[in-house]
Amino acid sequence: MTELASRLDDVAQRFAAAVDRANDEQALESVRVAYLGRNGEVTTVRRAIGTLPHTERPEAGKVINDAVAAMERRLQAAYEQLESRRFDAELAASIDVTFPSIRRPVGSIHPVRRIIDDSCAYFMRHGFAVVTGPEAEPDYYNFDALNIPSDHPAREGFDSFWISDTLLLRPHTSPMQIRTMQEHRPPIAIVAPGKCFRRDAVDARHLFQFHQFEGLLVAEGIHFGHLKGMLTGLCRELFGEQQNVRFRPSYFPFTEPSAEVDTTCPKCKGTGSLESSPVGCNMCGGSGWIELGGSGMVHPNVLREVGYDPDRYSGWAFGFGVERLGLARYEVDDIRRFVKSDPDFLAQLS
Amino acid sequence: MRVPVSWLREFVTLPPDAQTIADRLATLGFPVAEIERRPTITGVITGRIADLQKHPNADRLQVAQVDVGDDAWLTIATAATNVAAGQTIAVATIGAQLPGLTIAPRTMRGVASQGMMISAEELALPGDWFEDGIMQLESSCALGADVVDLFGLDTAVLDVEITTNRPDAMSIIGLARELAASYGSGLRLPEIVNPGRAAEPPGEEPDVLIESHDCYRFVSQRIDGVGVAPAPAWMRVRLALSGQRPINNLVDVSNYVMLETGQPLHFYDARAIRGGRLIVRSAHDGEQIVTLDGVTRTLSSAALVVADDERALCLAGLMGGAVSEVGPATTAIVLEAANFNGARVRRMSNALALRTEASARHEKSLAPALTDLGAARAAALLRDLGATLYEPHAFGGPVTRAAAIALKVADVQRLLGMSLHAQQIERHLAALGCEVERVEPEVLAVTPPAWRRDLTIAADLIEEVARIEGYERIPLVVPSVAPHEISSAAFALESRIARALEGLGYREIITQSLRGAGSVEVRNPLSDEQRFLRDSLVPGIIEYLAENASPARIFETGEVFRDEQSGLVEQSLLTFGFSADPLDEPPWRDSHFLALKGDCEQLLRKITGRDAEMKRTTQSGFHPGKTALVTLDEREVGHLGRIDPRLAKASDLQRPAYLCVVKIASLRAYETPRYRVPSKYPSTYCDVALVVDIDVAARDVERAIVAALGSLCTGATVFDEYRGPQIGQGRKSLAARVTLQRFDATITDEEADAAVSLLLDALRNEFGAEIRT
Ligand SMILES: [Zn+2]
Repeated sequence: MTELASRLDDVAQRFAAAVDRANDEQALESVRVAYLGRNGEVTTVRRAIGTLPHTERPEAGKVINDAVAAMERRLQAAYEQLESRRFDAELAASIDVTFPSIRRPVGSIHPVRRIIDDSCAYFMRHGFAVVTGPEAEPDYYNFDALNIPSDHPAREGFDSFWISDTLLLRPHTSPMQIRTMQEHRPPIAIVAPGKCFRRDAVDARHLFQFHQFEGLLVAEGIHFGHLKGMLTGLCRELFGEQQNVRFRPSYFPFTEPSAEVDTTCPKCKGTGSLESSPVGCNMCGGSGWIELGGSGMVHPNVLREVGYDPDRYSGWAFGFGVERLGLARYEVDDIRRFVKSDPDFLAQLS
Repeated sequence: MRVPVSWLREFVTLPPDAQTIADRLATLGFPVAEIERRPTITGVITGRIADLQKHPNADRLQVAQVDVGDDAWLTIATAATNVAAGQTIAVATIGAQLPGLTIAPRTMRGVASQGMMISAEELALPGDWFEDGIMQLESSCALGADVVDLFGLDTAVLDVEITTNRPDAMSIIGLARELAASYGSGLRLPEIVNPGRAAEPPGEEPDVLIESHDCYRFVSQRIDGVGVAPAPAWMRVRLALSGQRPINNLVDVSNYVMLETGQPLHFYDARAIRGGRLIVRSAHDGEQIVTLDGVTRTLSSAALVVADDERALCLAGLMGGAVSEVGPATTAIVLEAANFNGARVRRMSNALALRTEASARHEKSLAPALTDLGAARAAALLRDLGATLYEPHAFGGPVTRAAAIALKVADVQRLLGMSLHAQQIERHLAALGCEVERVEPEVLAVTPPAWRRDLTIAADLIEEVARIEGYERIPLVVPSVAPHEISSAAFALESRIARALEGLGYREIITQSLRGAGSVEVRNPLSDEQRFLRDSLVPGIIEYLAENASPARIFETGEVFRDEQSGLVEQSLLTFGFSADPLDEPPWRDSHFLALKGDCEQLLRKITGRDAEMKRTTQSGFHPGKTALVTLDEREVGHLGRIDPRLAKASDLQRPAYLCVVKIASLRAYETPRYRVPSKYPSTYCDVALVVDIDVAARDVERAIVAALGSLCTGATVFDEYRGPQIGQGRKSLAARVTLQRFDATITDEEADAAVSLLLDALRNEFGAEIRT
């Protein structure tokens, strides 16, 4: 019995030393296996109980169990200490949260499409449909049906790319007015975004390939006030509630009365001047207004061309340059950036 | 058109500020692109050189005694060489302000000079448009008068944009009339009566023969006793402020009248007209004329000329000929004030690539009534210059009154959404020169004025009413749109595609539709690089990827064009893909391809609700071994793959590029997916390794597994491939995971084992597979 006790004592002492030496969980586990495992030292000692007289066995069992319990407590404490040390180390770590982030590739839609989508959403809310059509269009849809016969001086304003005697790349989206009105009967409520082409020399304000956003509303009782209402709403949708819209008389063969549409320059808020510039706002040229495009009441000749009675139906149409809108909306310095679409430009505007 | 405000003020009372006037013009439909403000000039007065002596101490200087009125005399030393006693000139007195200069007393070589004689340039006029040296004034000018006041040199000049339908407004009187109507003030138009008298001129008074239908009216007038000299200073200054270079008194009068009335004129040297008549006719093919600019022009019969019996003298409405040009020897002229078909003048102007102030007006089809007005105004000015005037003769059609237009008061409200009384409508139209008659209580008969050829229908009149009333007074109304059946489907589809690709990490770009290659040619390209309509989006995208240094993930949607027997075919395409750094992979594996394929599958699933299938294909411009045909429900919708490395090299692509092309119209409508309830019993799986010929497609192995096991198989995916010497030439090893599951009970080990053994037999039979499990 004393011998067993002293063996147990020896085991416990070596166990304690081994636990103290173990400095990670793996080492601690090895110690546990070596001493408390199925074939560990404590088991060897326990086997010696069989050599003791029967009367001493219960006492010996208790001594061993007590020793094992003590060893397990010690082991548990060592585990907890190790874990706590690990948390301390982990929590001691500290990083610079302002360090530049790591970003996964994200997609974006082109600012031109964003403007078109935002504008379409506004018109769709008001019951308009969005239609699209071909870019190569016969002169009939581009001109004749729009009250621009072949000798009309206004054709000069549409310096177009011709494919054949009668086929050209559309210089405006207005052919969609004719196509839609020929296919449907009033009420007609559409917008028609699309790519257009004109033989313009390219510079900071001009592209030969650009997008136009067309609108057409024809029904009984439609008047100029409705045009003003919808387009003012559109500008507020795109630029904000403070936006003003101005209608100036102009001339287009397919509308009468006709109007140019301007909206408050968003850069200088309509003042025409900028603190940063002694020569005035470079976005609007100091006028405080941005030109959006043309509009007006559909010319009776156009209504007649598609078989509508102009005494019964009236309507309005408009056509805006999308990139022009983009210049103002995103304060872009050069319209060519919309075509170049360089990654930085796309990233900034997405 | 450059419009000196001082000229406008001659005809209409206007607010003092030029900006206010410009804003008003804009609200009338005549935007002002620029307001040019003149520099401040003070202390410049008229004077006469009473005496001129050589400077006592300097050879190059002269000393003048200048009479500046009211018995005041100034002693002025000058270095100018164009001065002489008796001349009337402009003098800057002591204290005078000139641009960048204040006149102070000074002593020139011992002579105290009390001012400075000045040139046009010192008055901020274009120096090379006026005489060298001191500006010469007329002796009729009162002495001591303020030169700035006298010539309106302090006026602002407006650059007014005028729409093509309003040639009548391409004139000072036209714009003054608009402003008068808008401000409700009167137009001060002096009655212009032609001072020509019926008398037998000393020379020939040519007959006019109008052979062409494109000349509607031709007023001619013989004018004698004209000597070519500089025009009066007031006229030259006014022309210069209007951007018109003064030439001589005759040319200047014709330009002045054109700017003021809008009617272009032409003066012929009377001596040059042979055969005693002017003929308006089409040019003969190949006929030549030397125009005033000294260019010899060869004409076609499309050109319209005014000729004499022998030769063309003038390109009608466009430019005169050198042979009848007025010059120093001219003593008599024949004035032409004509009206031509605008389209004819425009075609001629385009064909000859020649545009003039005259053609810019004629090509918009002027009102015939202007001819008489223009001739009368010119005659009056020439009379003031001392010419003898004979009676004007008009040829061609009479000046007819336009037909009255019926205007319903209700239609004004119907189109404008603003209610106006008949009286208001009447007032606005009358202010613009219309004759308005009330034919019924609410119907007006409106006769447009002779100069307004653009007013032909009621809508035209309604615009006039709105202009004068002010567009800003029309109230804003949001319309309520009645239901209709016009579809937005095509737009919505493209929109969804773009949003889906945005979600997959692609950025949208827009490239040029006009390119250096394609099958559809543009007749009038801007350059050879833009001669063709694109037949694919791929070249533009490759160009974009090549231009950008970093790898990029991009997409574009757009139209492409092909020339087919049926004619031009236009198609909407989507192309997306990326450039990426090459991976260290064996030649039979390409993870970039698989990534693109995955994006394509996810996109199509999202757009159509269906799963795409791929199979090997070849496509021009794509890698022959790394290209797949994409099908949805057995319909071809596009292709994807790696760009052919040879094309990539030729396009300066720094990295491999992978693109997917989808025909948007071939995508079927979205099919709503239905939920399949998963089995509530556990599944088991087994991995199968098999060696097959390299041309056995992984997808076919998956299909065979599903076919062999039927409903017991809930998944079959090839997840690994290996090729190498251990496998053998022409063979590859594939690993597939097969998931087995029952919907009615837990699958047993025996069932699973039986299924796998069935499956292995099938793979052996179908592909000659060697099983390695
Ligand atoms: Zn601005």
